[in-house]
Amino acid sequence: MDSALRLEGVSKRYGRFEAVKELSFEVERGSICGFLGPNGAGKTSTLRMILGLSDPSAGKITVLGADTGAKVRDRIGFLPEERGLYRKMTPVDAIAFFAGLKGVALGEGRRRARKLLEEQGLGEAMKKPMKDLSKGMAQKVQLLASIAHEPEFVILDEPFSGLDPMNQQGLEAIIRGLADRGATVLFSTHVMQHAERLCRKVVLLAQGRKVFEGSVAAARSEAPRSVEIEGHISAEEAAGLPGVSGVESVAVEGDPGVFSHRAALGKGADPQAALKAAFARGLDVRRFEMREPSLHDAFIVLTGGDR
Amino acid sequence: MRRLLLIARREYFAYTRTIGFWLSMLVLPGFILLGASLPGYMREAAPTRQVAIVDLTGQGAGEALKAAMALNRLKNDAEDLREAALKDGAGREKAEALRQLTERQGLAAGRARLREIAPRIGPVWKPAKQSVVVVQSPMDVAAAKTVEEAERELRPYVNGDALLAGKTALDAAVILTLKDGKLNGRFWSKGVTDTRAEDAVRHGIAEVLRAERLQVLGITADQARELDGIRPAMDVFSTKSARGESVGLRDRLPGILGFAFGMILWSTIITGASILMNSVMEEKSNRVLEVLLSSARTTEILTGKVLGVAGITATVLGVWTAIGAFALNVLAAAAPDVVADVVSVLTANGLIWYLLVYLVGGYLMYAFLFTAVGAFCETPREAQTLLGPIMIFLSAPIIVLQLAIRTPDMPLVKVMSWIPLFTPFLMPARIPSEPPLIEVVGTLLGMALMAAFMIWLGGKAFRAGALTTGKLDLKNIFAAMRGEH
Repeated sequence: MDSALRLEGVSKRYGRFEAVKELSFEVERGSICGFLGPNGAGKTSTLRMILGLSDPSAGKITVLGADTGAKVRDRIGFLPEERGLYRKMTPVDAIAFFAGLKGVALGEGRRRARKLLEEQGLGEAMKKPMKDLSKGMAQKVQLLASIAHEPEFVILDEPFSGLDPMNQQGLEAIIRGLADRGATVLFSTHVMQHAERLCRKVVLLAQGRKVFEGSVAAARSEAPRSVEIEGHISAEEAAGLPGVSGVESVAVEGDPGVFSHRAALGKGADPQAALKAAFARGLDVRRFEMREPSLHDAFIVLTGGDR
Repeated sequence: MRRLLLIARREYFAYTRTIGFWLSMLVLPGFILLGASLPGYMREAAPTRQVAIVDLTGQGAGEALKAAMALNRLKNDAEDLREAALKDGAGREKAEALRQLTERQGLAAGRARLREIAPRIGPVWKPAKQSVVVVQSPMDVAAAKTVEEAERELRPYVNGDALLAGKTALDAAVILTLKDGKLNGRFWSKGVTDTRAEDAVRHGIAEVLRAERLQVLGITADQARELDGIRPAMDVFSTKSARGESVGLRDRLPGILGFAFGMILWSTIITGASILMNSVMEEKSNRVLEVLLSSARTTEILTGKVLGVAGITATVLGVWTAIGAFALNVLAAAAPDVVADVVSVLTANGLIWYLLVYLVGGYLMYAFLFTAVGAFCETPREAQTLLGPIMIFLSAPIIVLQLAIRTPDMPLVKVMSWIPLFTPFLMPARIPSEPPLIEVVGTLLGMALMAAFMIWLGGKAFRAGALTTGKLDLKNIFAAMRGEH
């Protein structure tokens, strides 16, 4: 695999606290990779090491062929988690300044800035100071500032946080556009829907350790499938169906004696077998629905959130 | 280098493109200009007070007072003429002779003489505006026979309820009586704060009493003037004097300018360093610093910022220098000797170059220190916590500078100027008094070493502080410096 990023046994210690533990994974060139994990999992520490802002305590990082992100900083774009720009700068100047730091001439940076802003529907805002822009607009400008130099590798730390659904959709389009032109995107998030829609691959981190690396489908398969059964059926009757490993039951309002059961299935269990058994036992089944696990379910299971 | 210059450029324009920057830069020259011109302007702008004299003595004291007030006014004008002649470089003797001539022969003769001995100022010199003028008493007041009657008649005029014949207001009046055979004045005015009329009358009465007494003692007016004209004829010498051995303004200027430059360097350096600290603090609080760190090396960011603010400082000093040069140019017409002395002090003993070195050294020390402080802070309150002790420490040279103006070689000033962090503020005050070379070189070396240490420490602290979050205390700061955050 032609990797844009490779981590091999990377650890990061702050005094006695180990934030990242023997982390290894790689990201294929031109792909979008989700870097997932709950708060405090070690995502930001890892991203900082990739960028070369801090050194790993152990292990090896290879970014675009270099042994530290610092050596290839002009080819990397970075959007930090908590965002802000120079308040008195206009979007054009801000984008041109950051592109300038990455080697784009100021005039060319301004030209690209104007083009990007127009494309993102921010044409009218390009001459206003940043402090006069809405939060969504300002976040978009900062994202544009991180990609105006057309980087080969883009690192986005929680890019969707604080954005409304419309802006989130717009951002997803930008990220897809980056991958379409051949850039590699690594973004951290704990909103699984975005990762589900965008990523070819996800890496899950919990308490500093990698708990999963693979495709979204493979991640989903780590979580148990479940079925929804509704009717005059008791929790015991639902739990007794073949393949069911656990049941959560809720009484249906306005319909005495009717329950809705969410029955988790064991690994390899066949939902059809459970349905057949329900009919064979003469249970009053009004609704039977098979439910595939989401990335969110996988996230909960893999990061130990269900414990 | 490209990134460094780009950061410096952004830093420079972020401040210099604001109106606030130019306004605040003009505050200091504005205050100096205001301080210099306000007293003169106020004197000129203040209205002339009209005073009436009501003489109930029956001995012509009113006329005597009027004459005495005119004489005092002439004495003031004579003194002004003497100072004008001195400013024009006429010399002390000619200036004093001019004063005496004016007192003897009047203002017109004095002005004519000034034009001869002071060709620059003479033609344009004008006497100060009269602050008090004696006017004719209203008829009803003048006809009063007793103090009570005079005061009753005066009251509506002084109050502003009645006007004088020329439809002008009477500002004050003095009723002259004899008390135990001595001249006594009862002064009435509406206001209590403007004492110019009261002072003029008081000095006038004193002059009348003095003249009476001199007459009793058999001293003529000319003899009295001669006595008044006696000035101590003492020449002051110093072995370090610039012009021969006689001590003049030229010899005292170095101390004054040294003090002024010490203060200017202190405020310029601390202002520049504070700008840097606030800039870094803002970048840290809005996470721009993290993006910068991912885009450029720490040294590029730090040096770029320091360079950008150095440009701002240079702009401020450049504008101040231009204003100062313009002011000296304007002043040169009125006081060429003073201006020549100032220029001579600035260029003597390499003072300008020393100032430049101390400015650079001081700026480097404090710029890196303050930038490092800014990197650990996200709010002004956090910065205050860290800066508080530093600012208390920094107030010490300001106190000592005031001592240095008179005695630049006193032990306390000497010792403190060896502390590298104080060197850039105290040595400019000492340099004009030509301290031993070993002290100059030693303190410069100390300052250079401290600046190098601050650059190293500031760089390390900046890198550590830029990525820290959470509670700000010394334990966390040291942990961050050790790379544990």
